[in-house]
Amino acid sequence: MAKRDIPEVNAGSMADIAFLLLIFFLVTTTMDKDQAYIRNIPKKIEIPDKKPDPVEQRDIFAIQANSQNQLMVRGRLMSNSDDISERVIEFYRENEKSNNATNNFPMYSRISMSEIDGLIAKSTADAEAVEETPGALEDIIDFKWRQVAEWEKKKRALEMLGADKLAEISVQAHIRVEVQKATEYELFAKIQSEVEQGISELRDDAAMKIFNESYNSIKNRLAMDKGAEDREKIQLLKILYPARIIEVTPKK
Amino acid sequence: MSKFKKESGGSAPAINTSSLPDIVFMLLFFFMVATTSKESDPSVKIIKPEGTSTTDMTPYKQKSEIDFLYLGKPLNKARAAQYAEMGMEYMLFMDNVVQSTPDLLYNTSAVQAWKKDKFESKPPRMLEPIESVITCIKADKGAPSGIIFEIRKELQAIEALTIAYAVGDNGKK
Repeated sequence: MAKRDIPEVNAGSMADIAFLLLIFFLVTTTMDKDQAYIRNIPKKIEIPDKKPDPVEQRDIFAIQANSQNQLMVRGRLMSNSDDISERVIEFYRENEKSNNATNNFPMYSRISMSEIDGLIAKSTADAEAVEETPGALEDIIDFKWRQVAEWEKKKRALEMLGADKLAEISVQAHIRVEVQKATEYELFAKIQSEVEQGISELRDDAAMKIFNESYNSIKNRLAMDKGAEDREKIQLLKILYPARIIEVTPKK
Repeated sequence: MSKFKKESGGSAPAINTSSLPDIVFMLLFFFMVATTSKESDPSVKIIKPEGTSTTDMTPYKQKSEIDFLYLGKPLNKARAAQYAEMGMEYMLFMDNVVQSTPDLLYNTSAVQAWKKDKFESKPPRMLEPIESVITCIKADKGAPSGIIFEIRKELQAIEALTIAYAVGDNGKK
């Protein structure tokens, strides 16, 4: 039998099909990235009838905005919202090198490696003791072990830092965002932006000094490949400049 | 006699278009990779405020660990007028609210049901604990901050504890 020719497939309409698909994807997708500020909402807990310890005035960085969109930072009116980030940096920097009891900025604690080692041993013993106590609550045991983990983290951070002492801002120090119900979202977002800018500038500075690369490049790399080394770097920067932001629910 | 053949007049030679589909497919794949699909078309108008040092949400979108809420004035004029009369200028928009009556789409009291429904509809293999699934609020510049805190309260009640405020990055350093 004679070999028959395979008929050629007409591919002329292939382009049309591909164009249709292309246009479909063009229409249904967006190019613009979603950019945002991530914040955590505190967990709701049953508060026992005990007032929490008062926080020292020096540890509070209050940013207040009213319904007329006027700004007040640490009790002083501020007309230009671009200045907030500089004030945030000042808040962290003022006592970083040495504590000055007379100014109105948060104190730093400086802790050496041997002290951390001592605290790890102490908190581990404490956690074990609680664990062996009959009838101890699961939450408390959990909390004790978390404390141990916290010290381990700090030990690692100090090792990476390579200094003899780890300077840490007071645990009470925080940034407090207080707005009113009618404050425009634009101003609220501006406050968030300025706070974020201030803190990332501080971390960037430290990252440049310690690791000789920018905070953002470490962060981006961590998001890509989740390397253990980068995680520790970020952890160190977060211990040096913690972002404790409290957003107060407006009453009026 | 001449060495060169005279071009035979008449029609121009047909262009070979057999590689055209390949080119178009390449374009298609580029767009498929470089873009993310819109999650929904909100029926409220939003002009984002600007900010610096933002976090990119794309990785979370790719992992479906983020849900979007929209806060703005309704695009529908009649509805906008109707709600303005009730003293609610800015409205919330959620997509696919369970029992989606039009009113619920715009009401903070539906946030809990919406978030839970979103969470449960995700395939189990990508289940992050609900605390770490981000709720991203895209709000209009002029929206009052009070609504944001109302949403926060609703989310706190169901322990969806991660929130994000969307802004447009102005790229300033």
